[in-house]
Amino acid sequence: MFRPTPMLKLEMITLERYRDSVLTYLHEMGAVEVREVEVKEAQRDAPNEFYRKAASYSIIMSRMADFLRLHLPTKKGGIREFIFPPERKKRRYVYRGIEKLIEDVEAFLSEVEPEIREVEGEINSLNTEMERIRSEIAALELLSEFDVDVSYLRHSGIAQVLVGKVEKIRYGSLERELLEALEGRVVLVPKERGDTVVLAVVLLTSDYERANPVLAKHSFERIEIPEGEGRPYELVRTYQNLLGRKERELEDAYGRAAEIASKRYDDLKFYLELVENERNKASALNMLARTNMTFALTGWLPEGEAKKVEEGVRKLTDGIVYLRFSRPSEEELDEIPIKLNNPGWARPFEMLTEMYGFPKYNEFDPTPIIAFTYSFFFGFMLTDFFYGMIVGIVAALLVKGHRKFNDGTYRFAYTLLWSSLFTMTMGALFGSYFGNALDVVGQYLTGNPNFGMWRITDPLRDPMFVLILALAIGLAHLFVGYTIGFIVKWKNGERKGALFDQLSWMLVILGIVLFATGKGVPAFVESAEVLFGIGLTLFAIGEVVSNGGLAALLIISDFFGFVGTWLSYARLMALALATSGIAMVVNVLVQMIWGIKFLYIGPITGVILFFGGQFFSTAINALGAFVHSLRLQYVEFFGTFYSGDGRPFTPFMSRREVSEVVVESSGKNDSGGV
Amino acid sequence: MEPIVYVSLGAALAAGLAGAASAFGVGVAGAAAAGAVAEDEKNFKNALILEGLPMTQSIYGLITLFLILLSARIIGGGFRFTANTPDNIVKSAILFGAGLTVGLTGLSAIPQGIIASAGIGAVAKNPKTFTQGIIFAAMAETMAIFGLVGALIMIATGVGL
Repeated sequence: MFRPTPMLKLEMITLERYRDSVLTYLHEMGAVEVREVEVKEAQRDAPNEFYRKAASYSIIMSRMADFLRLHLPTKKGGIREFIFPPERKKRRYVYRGIEKLIEDVEAFLSEVEPEIREVEGEINSLNTEMERIRSEIAALELLSEFDVDVSYLRHSGIAQVLVGKVEKIRYGSLERELLEALEGRVVLVPKERGDTVVLAVVLLTSDYERANPVLAKHSFERIEIPEGEGRPYELVRTYQNLLGRKERELEDAYGRAAEIASKRYDDLKFYLELVENERNKASALNMLARTNMTFALTGWLPEGEAKKVEEGVRKLTDGIVYLRFSRPSEEELDEIPIKLNNPGWARPFEMLTEMYGFPKYNEFDPTPIIAFTYSFFFGFMLTDFFYGMIVGIVAALLVKGHRKFNDGTYRFAYTLLWSSLFTMTMGALFGSYFGNALDVVGQYLTGNPNFGMWRITDPLRDPMFVLILALAIGLAHLFVGYTIGFIVKWKNGERKGALFDQLSWMLVILGIVLFATGKGVPAFVESAEVLFGIGLTLFAIGEVVSNGGLAALLIISDFFGFVGTWLSYARLMALALATSGIAMVVNVLVQMIWGIKFLYIGPITGVILFFGGQFFSTAINALGAFVHSLRLQYVEFFGTFYSGDGRPFTPFMSRREVSEVVVESSGKNDSGGV
Repeated sequence: MEPIVYVSLGAALAAGLAGAASAFGVGVAGAAAAGAVAEDEKNFKNALILEGLPMTQSIYGLITLFLILLSARIIGGGFRFTANTPDNIVKSAILFGAGLTVGLTGLSAIPQGIIASAGIGAVAKNPKTFTQGIIFAAMAETMAIFGLVGALIMIATGVGL
């Protein structure tokens, strides 16, 4: 807690023939982050033919999986599935080296690929054909203006028929220029259709070359005459029958695709996951260094995993391995990957810290503090017992349903659950139950116009109290931040920074607190002045030391920066009051409507408006509370001490959603590099 | 001016200015949201939440309107400042000031909409930037929150509910 997981640096040299099995072991274990071996001019490994095959199969298979997913029978999903998603079954695979795996995948593909390709090809060609038929029908509909056998419109011999469309405004000049160009040896049959003219042009074939430029100039758009005999409207019917037939064929093909999808999709995903993991494994190869007989690997791992990794690797390599685990040196501080290390109750809150950035290795991990302050601020800004209950019920359901997956939804719901407890507590303290709804009901039931639930104070009538409370909380929050910063900097040897950047503000804050609490007591006020003075002096010296000539300007702007940061906590009060304000608006509206006695319209719409309004208010205020609580952590709190410049720990790890792997030694594991 | 003019103007400016600014903000973000959804329908949820952020200012405006009307007893009883006495004029002018503060700081909904629309574009490219996008947009809201803090203090301590 408060510190990232201690890490060790791993250095390993072993025989090349163990490479595949050692990599597979580390990949499945997921405990080591592999780093490039820093040897100049080292010979690098490259993926061999099997890894290359894995890469190309993963592309082919993911394309096939995309196709099948489209045709999977739709499941009954909905809200139940969202809250309680079913656990996916993992299929077991006995791993005997990449050669065997590629063999298995090829066997599977040889069976499945033709099936999928066939139906996919069929669907594609049917779609193309239907598209063509539809365009033929559209052409025939245009031609129906002529009401002659379409074979006449295709006529070519000594005379030729061209059919096409031209804009109505251009028809006049087209006719004129055509007659002129062909010296009258042309017949035009125009049919008007809205803004366009469907036009049949009959001309001598020998005149075609002369007519063509004129037609092109007027954007004459030629219509391809569909195959077949008979008048257009008769032919349309034939084509429509054909289209119907194709549609049925397409339905059939979809049916078969759905059948294949329900039969093969899970298998496909299983093999896809296997090859994708191989592909991912190959990414480590170019970080290794190798000689003809050996290879070297370096990386980082959590201290707790070292023993297990050592035992596993020694066993795999029959002890023919050089292994060294070393603690990081000062120079390596920026290199060390960071894995946060928190007890179970705080772990879901790590996502909030990670979203901002990881601490450096020698810095402080603020997650346990954020767990409390984030939830408390959320509660303060929502401050309503029933709103907290609604949020809490939703969060509790999600926590229950998603706990086994430990996914983002679980972590977020867990943080919401904590926040909802604080919301309910704050709601009870300030007597807010759907705003002032219980007060109104109580007044109605008891007939006492002054009836009110117990509360320490009514925030709407006494906002100064809430404002002072919010600012006091802000001061405490900032003080914690500066203190942490002071301790961390002092320990890390940055004495100057600790004194000037951190201690100065700690003293200023203490001064403010003493001054505010001991107004009447001269001793308090005096010591407050002293503390405040020392703090400000330290701060000013710090500015001069680090900024030299610019200090005069920066002292003013940084001091007011601190005041601005502090006042920013006023949002705690504003959002708390906004919540009770919106709730009260809903309640006032309901009270107005309630009076309509005719046909019980008042009470009925009142109830709908009440619950609709309150749920809307819960949603919008919870969003506001989430955003601004997070902001207070990121901008105000982290600004006092946190860098967030650490590199996250990204272990060399397989992704297993639908498969689990049992690694079985196959004796000789050498797959031969390139 | 008559007290009623101050009170009504205060309420109108609070809800009106902030509401109009929110409409601008949501409009800018909404245009970006439509584009993001056209790229990929999965962006809908994230885009909707970001689009809704500039709406808060109109809510602050509405709350202020209600508080001003409550404080002046236009809601829930007879109008409190019927007589044209100096005290009534001062109190109604304070309500006017409170409304104007929220209305003007509510203009922050416009830049917030611009930030949200950029956030929507970012989320469409990389959904992981969602929370960061929200935080960026929330920065612009700070001014509206300060306005609300000021107005609440003016109404509650200057006039009383």
